[in-house]
Amino acid sequence: MKKIRNWCLVLCILFVGMAAGAALYAQGAAPAAAKAPSAADAELAAAAAKAPATADLAKGDPGGTITGTISDVPAADSKVGVTLPDTANQVGQNKIAINFVWTLITGFLVMFMQAGFAMVESGLCRVKNANHTYMMNFFVYTAGLFSYWLIGFAIQMGGAAGNGNLGGLQSLTPEHTFTLFGKTWGLFGGSGMFLSGHTYDVGVMVIFLFQMVFMDTALTIVTGACAERWKFLAFCVSSSIMGAITYPLYANWAWGGGWLSQLGVNNQLGKGYCDFAGSGVVHAVGGMTALAVCLIIGPRIGKFNRDGSSNPIIGHDISAVLIGCFILAFGWFGFNPGSTLGASAAGNLRIGSIAVDTMLAGCTGTFGAMLYMWMKNGKVDASMSGNGLLAGLVAITAPSGFVSSVGACIIGLIAGVLVCLSCSFVENVLKVDDPVGAISVHGTNGLWGVLSVGLFADGTSNYGGAWNGVTGSVTGLFYGDASQLAAQLVGISTLIGFVFTLSFLINLALEFFVGHRVSVETEIAGLDLPEMGQLGYPEFVFKPEPDVLATAEKSYAVA
Amino acid sequence: MAANKSQGSYYTLFLVGATVLCAGIYLGGGMGKLLFLVGAIGFIASLFGMLKIKSLEGATALKPGPEAMKLLGAIVALLGWGITLFGMHLTPSVGGRIVLALIGIAVSLFGILVVLPGAFNKNAVWKS
Repeated sequence: MKKIRNWCLVLCILFVGMAAGAALYAQGAAPAAAKAPSAADAELAAAAAKAPATADLAKGDPGGTITGTISDVPAADSKVGVTLPDTANQVGQNKIAINFVWTLITGFLVMFMQAGFAMVESGLCRVKNANHTYMMNFFVYTAGLFSYWLIGFAIQMGGAAGNGNLGGLQSLTPEHTFTLFGKTWGLFGGSGMFLSGHTYDVGVMVIFLFQMVFMDTALTIVTGACAERWKFLAFCVSSSIMGAITYPLYANWAWGGGWLSQLGVNNQLGKGYCDFAGSGVVHAVGGMTALAVCLIIGPRIGKFNRDGSSNPIIGHDISAVLIGCFILAFGWFGFNPGSTLGASAAGNLRIGSIAVDTMLAGCTGTFGAMLYMWMKNGKVDASMSGNGLLAGLVAITAPSGFVSSVGACIIGLIAGVLVCLSCSFVENVLKVDDPVGAISVHGTNGLWGVLSVGLFADGTSNYGGAWNGVTGSVTGLFYGDASQLAAQLVGISTLIGFVFTLSFLINLALEFFVGHRVSVETEIAGLDLPEMGQLGYPEFVFKPEPDVLATAEKSYAVA
Repeated sequence: MAANKSQGSYYTLFLVGATVLCAGIYLGGGMGKLLFLVGAIGFIASLFGMLKIKSLEGATALKPGPEAMKLLGAIVALLGWGITLFGMHLTPSVGGRIVLALIGIAVSLFGILVVLPGAFNKNAVWKS
């Protein structure tokens, strides 16, 4: 009996042991059951099975129907195949890739605008200064790029982390700030010098390229206004400093998380200062600096008579001017639509509207200038027509992301007339000599562009639901938000009061150390040989200067 | 004298000085301070070098103007900006801020379009 009882005990222990083992086995098997393919994974596997084979692709794909399938989506685990997380990662990377490519290509377009500027400025100068003017436009790219890489980019964008279009740009931090009246305001960026350390980042490289070509556009505006008498050394030093300090500082305040962009968050002024693509940041900064240097450098010999009346000094190549204008208009399709910094997500499909607004403002700007000159003087003025196109484009640069096509037409038309009035005012009232009209095209119309955001922004744009950290769309006075106009006026006041003064004082110091102006001897001979050592057009026979200029030059030479 | 070798040398020194100075800011610490100092010396030396050769350039078609008036123009321009900035804190109303911003802009424009051209054109060469 005792034996039977012992055997029963052994059997019970065995049974309990087997049951426990089975339970443990079941627990171990549970994770395997969780890894069973989901419906989505099953669909992905089915799609992978249907994907064209290598043999099919080897036959060629003239219709483009079998190229680019699930086979091209990288799988984290090749044994499992493409899963839902793999697909989601690829979608995310595609968004960033689209935005990278968009931003880079539009940046390349803006870079090409340098060629347009070179042709416009050189064409509006006399043949004896052609090489010098072209060379300034050529070298400003190099001088600006280098100083921007050294420190300019860090000042401008070194605190601009958080752009979701380009992957976050999280390494661009911190922004140096100060506190005033209990609120924190951005002053300048803190990272990105030499694009080294943690800013050695793919997204940072993209934003650097895009912002650099914008900066260079601002620098090249000054070369036109000061053409035909600017000493090359002074130009080199002045441009280097502008690319390192003047431009980046204002650009930080507007675009890099600085205090102007915080006017909405801190002071409830609309969505803060809004300058979509740079009427203020690029063009007005260039125009204000051009005015500052032009005042210091003085007018060309023979430009003004003793009674203050002015003499026209005709450029040597109007065909270069008009082709240059077209190149600039082409490049502007990079300038404005590219300023979304992406084509995918966050309301970036508005690029179509931005591009059309850009075209239309250029169109009505040309109309404005051409018709004004035609009605005023009885002749169509080719160079002013070109300036009208550029004025329209400059003016639409800030509002292009926020206005309707009708608004763009009105802004451009006003810009076209404004450039004619401004050129006359600068020359006849201020007695400032601007050979290419850069102060009026970029300065006056840059300010007009900034102002027009506060008037014409229609509240329909939606770049991710907020702008400058304030929820909602940018809306101007005509559409019900007067506070946006106030923010724009603060930006204009900063351009006129601060940027101009900073540029003026820097260049006044350079006047002391370097001297901006070439000698009388050099100016009369033309800057090509004395400054560059080579004529722009060595085989051309120069026409003698008009009598009025020849007399003026003679009197200076004798003096 | 037009463009010359000295100009090229001093511009090179200017660029080298600026690069070393920026490297000093970037690196920080003891080495950074040293580089900053060396760069600043190079930078300033280049400016004084340019000043030294400036007189060799020959006469320009410019006459010296009233320096105080030039500085006054710059100060007035800056003052306008100050009015705009403090206007933002003086009143919370949008209308008030717009009016003060416009006053600030007008003051700045007075400095730029009236005082400064007056200073530069006072002794303008073309008048004589």
